[in-house]
Amino acid sequence: MSAPLSPGLLRRRCDPSRLGFATTAELQPLEGAPGQARAEGALDFGVGMRREGYHLFAMGPEGYGRHSLVRARLQAEAGRREPPEDWCYVFNFDTPHRPRALKLPPGRANAFRDAMARLVEDLAAAIAAAFETDEYRNRHREIETGLAERQERALNDLGERARADGIALVRTPSGFGLAPFSKAGDGVMEPEEFGKLEEKEQERYQEVIGRLQKELGDVLHQMPKWRREAHDKLRGLDREVTRTAANSLIDELKAGYADLPHVQAYLERVKQDTLENAAVFRQAKDGEPPTLFGIPLPRPEGSEGPFRRYAVNVLIAHEGTGGAPVVYEDHPSHAALLGRIEHVAQMGALVTDFTLIRAGALHRANGGYLILDVLKVLSQPYAWEALKRALRSHTVDVRTLGQELGILSTVSLEPEPIPLDVKVVLVGERILYYLLHAWDPEFPELFKVAVDFEEDMPRGDDDDALYARLVAGCVQREKLRPLDASAVARVIEQQARDAGDAHKLSVRMQALTDLLREADYWAQTAGREVVGDGDVQKALDAQIARSDRLRERLREQIVRGSVLIDTSGTRVAQANGLAVLQLGDFSFGTPHRITARVRLGSRGVVDIEREAEMGGPIHSKGVLILSGYLSGRYAPNKPLALSASLVFEQSYGGVEGDSASSAELYALLSALSGAPLLQSLAVTGSVNQHGDVQAIGGVNEKIEGFFDLCRERGLSGEQGVVIPQANVKNLMLREDVVRAVAEGKFAVHAVGSVDEGMELLTGVSASEIHARVEARLSEFAQKAREFAAVGARIPWRPGKKK
Amino acid sequence: MASREEEVRIRRVIACFSPGYGGRPELVARLAQELEAELLGLFIEDVELLRFASLPFAREIGIASVQARSMDVASLERQLRAQARALEQALEAILGPGPTGWSLRVERSSPLVAIEAVLAQVLEPALLIPPGGRLAGERRRVKKKELTKEALKQWLAAGRPVIILPE
Repeated sequence: MSAPLSPGLLRRRCDPSRLGFATTAELQPLEGAPGQARAEGALDFGVGMRREGYHLFAMGPEGYGRHSLVRARLQAEAGRREPPEDWCYVFNFDTPHRPRALKLPPGRANAFRDAMARLVEDLAAAIAAAFETDEYRNRHREIETGLAERQERALNDLGERARADGIALVRTPSGFGLAPFSKAGDGVMEPEEFGKLEEKEQERYQEVIGRLQKELGDVLHQMPKWRREAHDKLRGLDREVTRTAANSLIDELKAGYADLPHVQAYLERVKQDTLENAAVFRQAKDGEPPTLFGIPLPRPEGSEGPFRRYAVNVLIAHEGTGGAPVVYEDHPSHAALLGRIEHVAQMGALVTDFTLIRAGALHRANGGYLILDVLKVLSQPYAWEALKRALRSHTVDVRTLGQELGILSTVSLEPEPIPLDVKVVLVGERILYYLLHAWDPEFPELFKVAVDFEEDMPRGDDDDALYARLVAGCVQREKLRPLDASAVARVIEQQARDAGDAHKLSVRMQALTDLLREADYWAQTAGREVVGDGDVQKALDAQIARSDRLRERLREQIVRGSVLIDTSGTRVAQANGLAVLQLGDFSFGTPHRITARVRLGSRGVVDIEREAEMGGPIHSKGVLILSGYLSGRYAPNKPLALSASLVFEQSYGGVEGDSASSAELYALLSALSGAPLLQSLAVTGSVNQHGDVQAIGGVNEKIEGFFDLCRERGLSGEQGVVIPQANVKNLMLREDVVRAVAEGKFAVHAVGSVDEGMELLTGVSASEIHARVEARLSEFAQKAREFAAVGARIPWRPGKKK
Repeated sequence: MASREEEVRIRRVIACFSPGYGGRPELVARLAQELEAELLGLFIEDVELLRFASLPFAREIGIASVQARSMDVASLERQLRAQARALEQALEAILGPGPTGWSLRVERSSPLVAIEAVLAQVLEPALLIPPGGRLAGERRRVKKKELTKEALKQWLAAGRPVIILPE
């Protein structure tokens, strides 16, 4: 029979005296993340690899410092790189609905925007002044007068020719008419006078008038052409004057961008446009607003009216920033990633232009790094698809969701896409990585670098000291009181407990930081300048006290007898199993009564939990293994004539996991052998078909759960827990449990096989147990054969018809 | 620098309008406002035109359409009434009941006779704008007695405004 474990094996202590410091203030804080060598290596590779598709996926559970490690690495790398180019959107003079994207060297976009604003002001002043000069006015008047005189001359010439034929050229409301002069020479002939003329004379007049009308028509036909010529001359004059005023200003600005041909090309286009739209500059900037049916149209906020087309919309500027950008987008919606096109209300309609294009996270991170929470990206409609499209095409195309889905048919902007060079780091749970890998064919092509975060680090002899430096780093970062060595030792022990392993330390940074903050709070409350182990313990106790309401209620129900759990005496076919309940971030162990019933039959071992659809698949598998064990151990060459049922008594929720399979087997063997089981012992561990007891999870919580119940009822010295041998390394039990074991009031037994467990629980040798079981099963088999023989002799009777 | 109109305080603006000469009543009204002078609009229904319209073969060739259309007195009368009404509305829109006094007179006669009749009643100094006359440019100054019938005829043909000074 195995001896109980010694107290030294129940908790691996951290000796404060071996840490070698008085308080954490003496320590060199540890930067980085211990135990994350794999993740750091992957990060370095992913960041350094500048090939297509080598974006990163940082995976691991929440609270393990994924964000801070990723951000720290990216910022370090970004600091070594040059800041990327600035980007602006400007008016596209050729295709106004496709604003042009202009690239400028870092830090020059704002200066360019200001320079353009100044240019527009200067152009307005200079062009308006040029049109006010006497020279312009005189030349303008000369052209207008020339046109008027040309028209007048043509009409006068015609009038003279008509007069020679006795015909007057008369101005009518809409044109001209021709009529004979009176013989008296005092104007147009009266109708009566015309009527008195000889018919031949009348015909002559009408013939002449007909000819002159044709000539008049020819003259009038010429007039639009003359007006066009005059207008062309006026336009030419305007262009000439504008060119003179504008060229020097624009050329001066162009000279400042001699190194940027595309900016120069844009300015050249601005120059042409000013010539074509000189009239715009001749009007006062704040003159009358445009009207619609006489109603003044409001101008958009900040609008410079007609000069808006020369504005520069600085999308991204890297003024005063060193290095490449590292952007974290907390709300990665479609618009937040790709940018958006805003609108302003005008007369009840929504209008937009290139100045209302806004940058998205991809724009801001362009030339650097973008960190995104994958779950948030996947939760936002169409954000994931948009992100992949941008990464595949290497461009950011600002499109509204309406455009994307084709549900808007109104005319909108289609800004020129901006080339994209960004390294994206997705942060998320492992399950999301594997799901995406399995179900999204594009995912593996785009996110080739998996950055897998460890959840714990090894706890070798030197690792406690290393971890102390990590604690010191947290203390410094969070601006907390220093911890003395005993407090650090307590923290380290807790982190080992959190890791569920005496030989590992949890690197769940969030939990560590929370513990340090809360210990600091209790030290502050107590008026201490240095955090001691008592403060750490108080923080831990307070954490549990805030969360363990349900644990208390469950234990109360057991103590009051509502839930039946024996902690003393013996009973056949009944064992105390142990389960772990996880509620939020608090988990605790609690005992469960497991009972077995056996009888002659052929159904094998029946899992009542599964029959009632309350058992999970792993639990069912554990029970099926028991059948395998029984068959292999007791009936390899004969039929197993057994029907056995197993149940978690008073279990009203689901049961999952196979950690109770050893307890179930003990109950089953007890039922078959008739050997009673000690109720002062609780059991945990899974078994295989050979009867080996295997490791399970949550061993510390399970032991403590049974210990708390026993203590409540009074520790007898007989009570204890049977655990798998393989779980001894995981033991990091509470101090009070270790103390009780040291005082002989409680025991923890480790077993490697079912035989050892049965001997502990029954006090009967394993061979004896096996013999009894075998005898019982043989008895069942014999009876089964007898029943079968009787059944064969009974004649067949047909069933009654209804 | 003071303009020449300011040197001579113009008390009246006499703007003549006639069918076929167009004219810019809005500009005339604003000019009168600027000069703080009373505006007298004179719409002349040219008798020559009426006589032309009564001829059986009278045809009008439109400036814009260059199409010949028959003309008769009734349609001409309608056009004249419409023009006079539009003129009055244009002046009313700008001057309305404001400080600048204004009136519109419709005369059916020859332009020369109508202007002579107005000049006989008007107090100088006045700015006389002929039908279709341009507002911009140099403005001649004449004394009233210098405006003989012959001079008036030439001046009408030239289509330039003239400032009429007292004797």
